[in-house]
Amino acid sequence: MSKPSELVQGTLDMLLLKILALEPVNDFAVSQRLNRVSDDVLRVSDGSLYPALHKLEQQGRITARVENVRERPAREILFAHATGPAAA
Amino acid sequence: MRLERWVYTIPLRFRSLFRRSKADQELDDELRDHVEQKTQEYVAKGLSAAEACRQALLELRGLERTKEDCRDARGVTWLHDLAQDLRYGFRILRKSPGFTTVAVLTLALGIGANTAIFTILNAAALRPIPVPNANKLVSISQNVRRANGPISRNVHDDAGFVSYSEYRLYARDNRAFSGLLAYSPFTETTLGTDKPQAVLGTLASCNYFDVLEIHPALGRFFTDADCSAPGESPSVVLSDSFWQRTLGGKRTIVGKTIVLNRTAFRVIGIAPPGFDGTLAVASSFWAPLTMQKAFNPDYDRLSDDNLSWLGMIGRLRSDISLKRAAADLSIVASRLNSRQPGRITTVMLEPATLLAMHSLRTPMLSIGALIMAAVGLVLLLACANIANLLLARAAGRRKEIAVRLASGATRGRLIRQLLAESLVLALIGGSTGALASWFSVAAIFRTAMLHLSIGREFVFSLNLSPGVLTWLFAFALSVATACCFGLAPALRASNADLTLAMKEEGAHSQSGSMNAGRLRNVFIGVQVAVCMLLLLVSGLFLRGLHRAETVNPGFRTQNIETVEFDLPIAGYTAERAAAFQRQLRERLAALPGIEAVAQASVIPLAHNYDVTGFSTPDGRTNYEVQYNCVSPEFFSLLGIQILAGRDFTEAETRTEAHVLILTRSTALRIWPNENSAGQLLEERFPKALRRAGIEWQVIGVAADAQVADLGESDTLYAYRPAGPEEQAQLNFLLRGKGWSADASKRIEAIVKDLDPTLPVTVAPLSQNLESWRAVSRVVSTVSVILGALALFLASIGIYGVVSYSVSRRVREIGIRMALGADNRTIMRLVLRQGMFPVTIGITVGAGLCACVSRILSQVLYGISPWDPLTFASTPLFLCAVALLAGYLPARRAMRVDPMVALRYE
Repeated sequence: MSKPSELVQGTLDMLLLKILALEPVNDFAVSQRLNRVSDDVLRVSDGSLYPALHKLEQQGRITARVENVRERPAREILFAHATGPAAA
Repeated sequence: MRLERWVYTIPLRFRSLFRRSKADQELDDELRDHVEQKTQEYVAKGLSAAEACRQALLELRGLERTKEDCRDARGVTWLHDLAQDLRYGFRILRKSPGFTTVAVLTLALGIGANTAIFTILNAAALRPIPVPNANKLVSISQNVRRANGPISRNVHDDAGFVSYSEYRLYARDNRAFSGLLAYSPFTETTLGTDKPQAVLGTLASCNYFDVLEIHPALGRFFTDADCSAPGESPSVVLSDSFWQRTLGGKRTIVGKTIVLNRTAFRVIGIAPPGFDGTLAVASSFWAPLTMQKAFNPDYDRLSDDNLSWLGMIGRLRSDISLKRAAADLSIVASRLNSRQPGRITTVMLEPATLLAMHSLRTPMLSIGALIMAAVGLVLLLACANIANLLLARAAGRRKEIAVRLASGATRGRLIRQLLAESLVLALIGGSTGALASWFSVAAIFRTAMLHLSIGREFVFSLNLSPGVLTWLFAFALSVATACCFGLAPALRASNADLTLAMKEEGAHSQSGSMNAGRLRNVFIGVQVAVCMLLLLVSGLFLRGLHRAETVNPGFRTQNIETVEFDLPIAGYTAERAAAFQRQLRERLAALPGIEAVAQASVIPLAHNYDVTGFSTPDGRTNYEVQYNCVSPEFFSLLGIQILAGRDFTEAETRTEAHVLILTRSTALRIWPNENSAGQLLEERFPKALRRAGIEWQVIGVAADAQVADLGESDTLYAYRPAGPEEQAQLNFLLRGKGWSADASKRIEAIVKDLDPTLPVTVAPLSQNLESWRAVSRVVSTVSVILGALALFLASIGIYGVVSYSVSRRVREIGIRMALGADNRTIMRLVLRQGMFPVTIGITVGAGLCACVSRILSQVLYGISPWDPLTFASTPLFLCAVALLAGYLPARRAMRVDPMVALRYE
């Protein structure tokens, strides 16, 4: 399994949880916000983002829920759990 | 991880495991959606549609790779891989049915045999007693000694047992047990019905069934009233199988009386089916301890404080650990110590099993361990064979493995895959073997016991149905086996040189197989060593058997009938016994065709013996001597010569004359340089008996005869005249001419005529010889089967390796032949290389056997554990078989046509 080598271990997980704690959003929005909050300094490649999100989901720190947003196709919205960051 | 998080993760894991395609579909959708949006974003920034899509994919660093990473993140990949590997392994094995059948059968045999032995050991030594809440039952044994050495104490059945007064103290003063029971096993009695017979029962304390928490199938169990006073309440509880088998199984039996040793006992209840007592030897009935005198009229065991005759089992209170219980009992033990100055008592506690008695456990466990070791060695042999087969197969699969490595598989992943194939093989073999052992173990155990217990009435009650532990054992053994034969080949195969393997089409290089060749040689060496060990052991047993079959015991066994009965157990007093013996002797002497009648307290080779201590008059040397009380006709009847001095006289048997006849080797041991006739020996008794020593005068020396142990003629042995005191112990020996088949019936009828209630066994003396041979016959059969199996496996191994190396070296052989080598040179070359590991294996195996054969010396009749004939002939035999196994494939090397071989690419 490849790990994002450009970040200190665990930093990416924390950034993702921080973003999702503010507001549940879908995965694409996560990638956009990630770039925006770090002023494009931390450029996390999408190839690292998805495995990281899957890992967080497996660890039970975030949950995916399918929601219909207006006329757009159904898509997964990610929620961070209250217990998540504290336990990290 | 916190507990509440499992609530989320477990369903997720399950989903990723069992609904994989759905999860994959969602992952696909997710990533496609992402690429689409990214593309739109880039298009909005002004890129062309194609370029925008390319950029989006680039940022994902490859769609497939990201997917693989996401799957890895689910954390169940290894399970998937394992399932995949197992499926693949199964497919691969199905493709080579020949290899699979051989391997599975070999493994089934090895694992099955091991499982069968384990089932028996498990039933006897590990399973709790078949009663409710048996995990709270503890078997208690006691060890008594002095600070400076052993203490003088009488022992009946087991040295760990306690006396009645000790039991009463333990039961009264302990605080660790909710109940403490005592039992005296193997109480031999005579059941007086129309046809008297010997039965084995247990004397039990009255709380016996309460402590075990079992309830009667019929009637009631003992109450305190049954134990109120010695000899007061002759009540008895019967075992279900005894009731059904011997007493007809009628429900009306409760309340009726049965006669045990001439005492009428009232049947008060029937134990539940399946309960045969707390030991591996089944008990037919239970009577209160207080009725002990009814079974041994001459000996009041209840009041002998220095007699170990009661086993104890306690039921732990729910809050007490084994350790605390031990501490508690040692307080009681210290009270016992203070009663007898200098005494040190140690109390030992262990979970109660059917083998709680040490004197029963030690032989059974050591025999079991020995057989298990032998069967384990055969399994090891099978592993070596399969490992060799796998190595040969791996060479054929080098291409496949190279492709896997080249396309990115890691070495660990590859090893896992190859091990999974081995695991499939081992699991199929293991489950076949375990199932086979499940179906056959009870029958095999019965057969073995039948052969081993000629003339003995033991019924072993073991629950041989497979339990969780048995299955776990078979499974663990299979997995261990898989690692044993799969690991080395897997390590070898996954360490391939990629470029070399890919370049060669047919994988015929020499360089790459050097290591594999060495590994194969190691396997062959191990195999031959193990085979050598097993063959040597079975060779020793065979020699022992031959010796036992042909040995001259030193006395006559033909045309001699033995008449055995136990008068004390049947309730005879000394006077009654003397009258009975006199009458019977007269009647027997009047039989037609009779040549001689003799009496002896011990029938030759009858597995029982009497021992006493003698010392020389100066008191310096002590000897433990087996003795036999015989009538004067004994020596002439058995054809044992009196070498010096004289035989006993009639007069000496009528009085208590203290005269002895020693065997030749005994006399030589005690007086190496002197004439033994007329010498004196003093018989000494344990101090507790407070008996003065008796002086015995040696009047004669008899020829050595193997009357005590077959194969051993130098046992210290003395004959004493059968005087008035020994009358109750005597049995008869009869020699006749032309005995007809009904002679034994007629003899039996005479005994019945004198006492219809006395159980009597009439059998030819040669049967005693037979019972000694039966043991060595069973042991040698088992060892020969194992040895043959080992030989077979090893020959297959040698054949395989030589044949493989010939097929690999066709080209080399072709070149050698083209350069002028003749057939014999080639043959010598192939055989020399094939035999090298064999020679080393034989040497190591013989060395191993020399080390372990000392353990066997107890069961080898009159054979040295380093018997030169066996140690010389077995290696030669194995060498010959190995040469043959190598020669057959090596012949093919001679038929190599150099032209064909050189073109062969």
